[in-house]
Amino acid sequence: MRAASAIAAKDLRIEGRTLRTAAATGLFALVVLVVFAFAFDLDTVRRLGAPRVVPGVIWITLAFSALVGFTRSYELERQRDAIAALAIAPIDRGAVFAGKCAANLAMLLTLAAVLLPLTLVFFDAGREGAALPLVAVTVLHTVGLAELGTLFGAVASRLARGEALLAVLLLPAATPLFLSAVQCTRGVLEGAPLSDNARWMLVTAGCDVLYFLVALLVFESVLEEG
Amino acid sequence: MRRAFALVYGPLLGVTAVVTGAALALIFLVAPEERVMGAVQKLFYIHVPLAFVTFLAVFVLLVGALGYLGTRRPVWDRLARATSEVGWLFCTLVLVTGPIWARPAWGVWWTWEAKLTTTLVLWLLLAGILLARGYATTPEQGARVGAVLGVIAALDVPIIYKAVDWWRGQHPIVFGPGKSDPLAPGMRAAFLVAMLAVTLVFALLVVLRMRLAALEDAIVAAEDAAWRSSS
Repeated sequence: MRAASAIAAKDLRIEGRTLRTAAATGLFALVVLVVFAFAFDLDTVRRLGAPRVVPGVIWITLAFSALVGFTRSYELERQRDAIAALAIAPIDRGAVFAGKCAANLAMLLTLAAVLLPLTLVFFDAGREGAALPLVAVTVLHTVGLAELGTLFGAVASRLARGEALLAVLLLPAATPLFLSAVQCTRGVLEGAPLSDNARWMLVTAGCDVLYFLVALLVFESVLEEG
Repeated sequence: MRRAFALVYGPLLGVTAVVTGAALALIFLVAPEERVMGAVQKLFYIHVPLAFVTFLAVFVLLVGALGYLGTRRPVWDRLARATSEVGWLFCTLVLVTGPIWARPAWGVWWTWEAKLTTTLVLWLLLAGILLARGYATTPEQGARVGAVLGVIAALDVPIIYKAVDWWRGQHPIVFGPGKSDPLAPGMRAAFLVAMLAVTLVFALLVVLRMRLAALEDAIVAAEDAAWRSSS
């Protein structure tokens, strides 16, 4: 636990001082959002109804920008082979995973805090009382995304030129999260109570737990040298 | 390993050849032609077993991956390697035979229904595993990466299926609780034998692929030894 928070704190401190990941992912998210605004203009969105289009826009943008962030997360460790130091540190491998995952989650939530309001403004999809349920939905789904991203990011970073692989590995595996995220976000934007999507939220919570446990078990094999 | 292979391969090849021949004869000579769909329904005898065996392959992949992560014995990795490759091949065949049947039966080549979507995502997951293994620089690294990704993929597949199922549905459920048996006797025999035949072909390919993997590993080991003794 202490080791995990130390690793997370280290990552966040580096990020706080350089703001490199935030700049790269934030700008990338903005670019994707603008591209979406060209692809679906406001008239089309209004005709279809914002709740049918906007959840997809939000989650695709978040997923693509997250990919940029996950890649960066292990670039930190690659410099001067810091990952080897992490791998031989006398701490549980699970703690390394938990720490990296917490830092990635913080990165994703910060990104979402900027991205969501911006998307709602751009596509005119905001509504009274949507803020709190939207936060709940976002947190629930970004946890799973951060877990898978941290695990697959580690796999990709161990392979030579593996960064190109990350998207190919991560996006199909995260299918259940995306389906649930889009479904729940649509419900919130339509003004339905969260309990309407309780089934989806439960499955996602289950996925969050399952991915975490599996990652704890296999992370040691991922970090191994050679 | 070599002795086990020699013991299994010959009989397996013989049985597979006989059963596959019998399956083809039953499908094309004995089973009656379906009234509404006609000849295209014959695909059912191949498509359904292929799909079944694809998911069986994922299960065996999970076993091999967990076995390797637990024991680190190369034979488990060979099992995982063989099933991910052969499983990917079978998955590809499912995705090819499905639309050929769907076009005349449903009027469309493709729909985003649960079984189709899950199979497509599974195809992507397996392709990702093969790709990641190809990027590995040492056999051990490839084995670990393949095992880790295999575990995630295998655990993900049922969740994906359930999620897409809630999202929407359209695939015909031919077998299931509360359904009377829809197959005429001649059809059922052909289907069951075809199921056995496809499973045997799968087993045969996995056994061959595992033998090939053992030879590959031996070559790498021999090269390593030669390199070490020369330097």
